[in-house]
Amino acid sequence: MAYATLLVTVGIIAAIYALLAIGLNIHWGDTGLLNFAHAGFFAVGAYTTTILTTPAGSGLLAERAVGFDLPVVVGVVAATVLAGAVGVVIALTSVRLEGDYLAMVTLSGAEMIRLVITNESWLTSGAQGINGIPRPASGAFPLEAGGVVVGYDLFYLGLTLAILGATFLLFRRLSTSPFGRVLHAIREDEDVPRALGKRTPMFKLKSFGLGAGIAGLAGALWAHFFFAINPTMFLPSLTFSVWAAVIIGGAGSYVGAIAGTVFLVGIRQVTRFLPSNIPLSSEIPFVRLIVIGAALIVVLYYRPQGLFGDRERMAAGQSMEGE
Amino acid sequence: MAAFDLQFVWFGLVSGSLIALGALGLTLIFGILDFINIAYGEYMALGAFVAFGLNDQLGLPVAVSGALAVLAVGPLAVTLDKAVFQHFRDRSAIVLLVVSIGLSFILRNLIRIVWGSGSKRFDVPIEEAPTYFGVQILGDQVAIVGLSLLVLGGVFVLLQRTDIGIAMRAASDDADLARIRGVDTERLVLYVWLVGGVVAGIAGVMLGLDGQLRPTMGFLALIPIFAAVILGGIGDPVGAVVGGYVIGLLQELSVVVIPAEYKPLVGLVVLVVGLLTRPDGLFGEATR
Repeated sequence: MAYATLLVTVGIIAAIYALLAIGLNIHWGDTGLLNFAHAGFFAVGAYTTTILTTPAGSGLLAERAVGFDLPVVVGVVAATVLAGAVGVVIALTSVRLEGDYLAMVTLSGAEMIRLVITNESWLTSGAQGINGIPRPASGAFPLEAGGVVVGYDLFYLGLTLAILGATFLLFRRLSTSPFGRVLHAIREDEDVPRALGKRTPMFKLKSFGLGAGIAGLAGALWAHFFFAINPTMFLPSLTFSVWAAVIIGGAGSYVGAIAGTVFLVGIRQVTRFLPSNIPLSSEIPFVRLIVIGAALIVVLYYRPQGLFGDRERMAAGQSMEGE
Repeated sequence: MAAFDLQFVWFGLVSGSLIALGALGLTLIFGILDFINIAYGEYMALGAFVAFGLNDQLGLPVAVSGALAVLAVGPLAVTLDKAVFQHFRDRSAIVLLVVSIGLSFILRNLIRIVWGSGSKRFDVPIEEAPTYFGVQILGDQVAIVGLSLLVLGGVFVLLQRTDIGIAMRAASDDADLARIRGVDTERLVLYVWLVGGVVAGIAGVMLGLDGQLRPTMGFLALIPIFAAVILGGIGDPVGAVVGGYVIGLLQELSVVVIPAEYKPLVGLVVLVVGLLTRPDGLFGEATR
């Protein structure tokens, strides 16, 4: 029974990470933009919904002066929109930049977001974090229907999976639409769509906004499930983990983004089922990060297009060979 | 916010020396190999932690253990190139960037397994800083500034006066042209990793001397270092050093106008403004 509970939680984490991977896939897989600010967008989403749905002054050490106690739905929608807007603002400074310069600017941008969250305690309670985040419809569970008891976690898993499914269908559709084809053209060679009269900076901004918005939605779902958030949940290593998921799954493929996430979360969570008395058990969290790092390198060497990527499409920079 | 104080200038020189050192090693590697090596931060951290191991766990003096650690990081960088980066030589800069992320995961967590994730300090006496001209100056800080000047000078002599240094500058300017003129670029790459690794090791030990040692110390130091490299123009050692001091001084002096918690923002702002206005670096002779 305990394992079943744990599996449901792992499922929720996987679904939220898969949303992050989908957001990154439109940036990197579809448009070829090197976004290293994903943890920042995730943080903006989590904090937006938290501030909107909790009352002010709920901190222990830091006094938070802002809080709105609004319904969760409002918070989640606002989180998505605001994270998307922050994505566009960061992109505005840097869409003109070459690939790896953009990586540096976005990475610094995410650190800036974390710096603001850590220091502006009137808004975010600073390093102390915020707890007591409401769970949507928590009063209705556990629900007993026809002799089967549905716990809250199972309900939340269903909810996140439904959102993941809808997002997956939407983004895959978008990727094959005329809009998506322009993004792919930008990824392959920006001069070509520009020569055809497409305003490529606008397309890049839209791609950035959409992906960042989904990361914000993921952040909101995270906050409402785990009750509490603090700035250390949004370190750059989260961004790098999502990158690992997208590359391992296959850049450009939304099925791959989800498969890569399952692999990543699998490695990170499966070790929790190991007994704690085996040798090196306290080092397991570090060992699994080493495994992820090694998997990333091995996949790039033996299967640069990832597990589900198409070799014809750009597989992690393949088509940029000879640049 | 605080009133202007000469103390900030001294702090700026100390941070500037640290950033300049890191930026010098990184720009050499970046200039020749043409990709952003995220694992460079871990090379610095490894230098610091190896020195810590020799100093605190084996009881060697700081200077000796620092020197030994530095000598270890150079060959380590070469080994990691042979083991990892060499196999991706014909891939794009972005693949190499992602590979270096994987490598940085591996190295950082190896550090955590060996030394734990808590913060550490070198075994050096904690003393009150003597005051000269109203500025508190620690012995460690004098060592950092002095040693980095020495190292910067040494690398410039290497680049200007030795055949291998001249070949490095040539290959950084135009790798194909250098190859046509008979420069053995594969051998050159080894020297670049060796020199870059040694400089990273020195930067890491200095960084540890200035504050505490943490497994994430190298990665966190990277952002101002990248800002210095880009400000100076990629592959331009003089630009990187000047950029490092500019960012260090601006960062410490910024407390006069903005709250001290936002000091790290300065590097970011310089990076963005620099990229948008002077994409070729301070001296406009960048390789791309």
